[in-house]
Amino acid sequence: MKKILSALFVTMLIVGSMASSVFADNHSDMAMVRVLHASPDAPEVDVYVNGNAVVEGASFKASTDYLELPAGEHTVEIYAAGTKGEKEPVISQNLTVKAGMAYTVAAINTLENLELKVVEDSMNITEGMTKVRVGHLSPDAPTVDVGVVGGDALFSGATFPMVTDYKELDAGTYDLEIRTEDGTQVMDLSGTSLEENTVYSVFAVGMADNLDVLMLKDYTLMPNDMPQTGMGGASTNATSYLPMLAGVAVLGAGALLLFRRRTQQ
Amino acid sequence: MHFCYSVVVLSNNMKRMTIVFTLLLLTACNGEMVNTANETSLVEPEQATIQPLSSTSVNATRNGSESGQPTMLQEPEQNGISPTRIRIPAINVDAPIVQKRLNEEREMEVPDNGEDVGWFEPGTMPGNSGNAILAGHVDDRNGPAVFFDLKELEQGDLIYLTGKDGKELTFEVKKVIAYPKDNAPLHKIFGPSNQRNLNLLTCTGTFDHSIQDHEERLVVYTSLKP
Repeated sequence: MKKILSALFVTMLIVGSMASSVFADNHSDMAMVRVLHASPDAPEVDVYVNGNAVVEGASFKASTDYLELPAGEHTVEIYAAGTKGEKEPVISQNLTVKAGMAYTVAAINTLENLELKVVEDSMNITEGMTKVRVGHLSPDAPTVDVGVVGGDALFSGATFPMVTDYKELDAGTYDLEIRTEDGTQVMDLSGTSLEENTVYSVFAVGMADNLDVLMLKDYTLMPNDMPQTGMGGASTNATSYLPMLAGVAVLGAGALLLFRRRTQQ
Repeated sequence: MHFCYSVVVLSNNMKRMTIVFTLLLLTACNGEMVNTANETSLVEPEQATIQPLSSTSVNATRNGSESGQPTMLQEPEQNGISPTRIRIPAINVDAPIVQKRLNEEREMEVPDNGEDVGWFEPGTMPGNSGNAILAGHVDDRNGPAVFFDLKELEQGDLIYLTGKDGKELTFEVKKVIAYPKDNAPLHKIFGPSNQRNLNLLTCTGTFDHSIQDHEERLVVYTSLKP
């Protein structure tokens, strides 16, 4: 019986230590950060945060998925690809991020004048709507408006390196254009599809004579919590498994006694 | 419980018996707990705050000819389906998929039975870039439900989805991670991505009767098989 009790004790110790199993990250203390290479003449780059590689071999117009980064201050260093340890970073800058926020960190301007542009990204959308903003990341392009072709401007007076506020719109396909303030079309964006429940950043990148537009998704509609996907019918019961253990122990003890009696016979 | 008895009878050595009995208590009475707490693969590693990327995923491809004219860079061609059926041969799942949205509390609705799998319809379509979401119950009121064995999935296992138009897509398991129910990285699970991902969700861990909920959530991260 003593052994059985000690077995039970060991069991409880093990179970007890499991119940408090450590979950390393507290995701509510995290910020989301993505990196965009928007420097037209910069080489492929490696991006390091606090000395750890987060992106390797990113070329112009490449963007990463959002990465979790603990809230607080971090050092962001960008190296020409494969040159860390041999050469100085092309840029090194501190970045402070807040918990529960999302950011785009864009390497912008020409290589000679490389800078990091940090913007906060939206993390909400009205269900059924779409949301969009534009960023003027072309170092030598003029001030522009973005609007419906031949119609009203949605965003006015965007100038390098400005990123506008978001605008919530009905979802759908829009015939948009980038135009100078006097109405001359710079770029035709006809047929731009803005899906419902989605937040976009539209970034104009490249030099004025070779302009491109990147359309990134910043956010999609999501719940506040993880869904509740169980009703308990086949699961361990957290509040009452100790009595169950005791029950098993009693049964086991009974079995052991039975076993001993049999072997003694 | 008679299983406990038979093993005890089989064991002749008192010391070994103690150990066997200890293990038995754990497996017989607390099988699920053993699974989630002992397999470290299910628990997120402490240091993995930044995922190193071997290469950067480019979100956009050039849409149009090489004319030198300004061009719009949009997402790569989309192949999303409206899923109606899921098959996971590795754990013998073959189940219908129903569409689910957010309720007024901004929670994801889930199927009202243990057989169906819910697709989060306002989110990404499976096959499109982003994180498509399927959620199923681990158990109903009476016993195991459709995603009861989801925690057994391993890297490389395949998921087959059939769309409304009959098209089939194959996804491959990348990671299986359990999170405390109030501490899951929602943005990473539900948010935008350059990859074509499908994330399967269910409950895991112990069931707390006081709140009528499991203490953990299991996420099976999968990506479209090229």
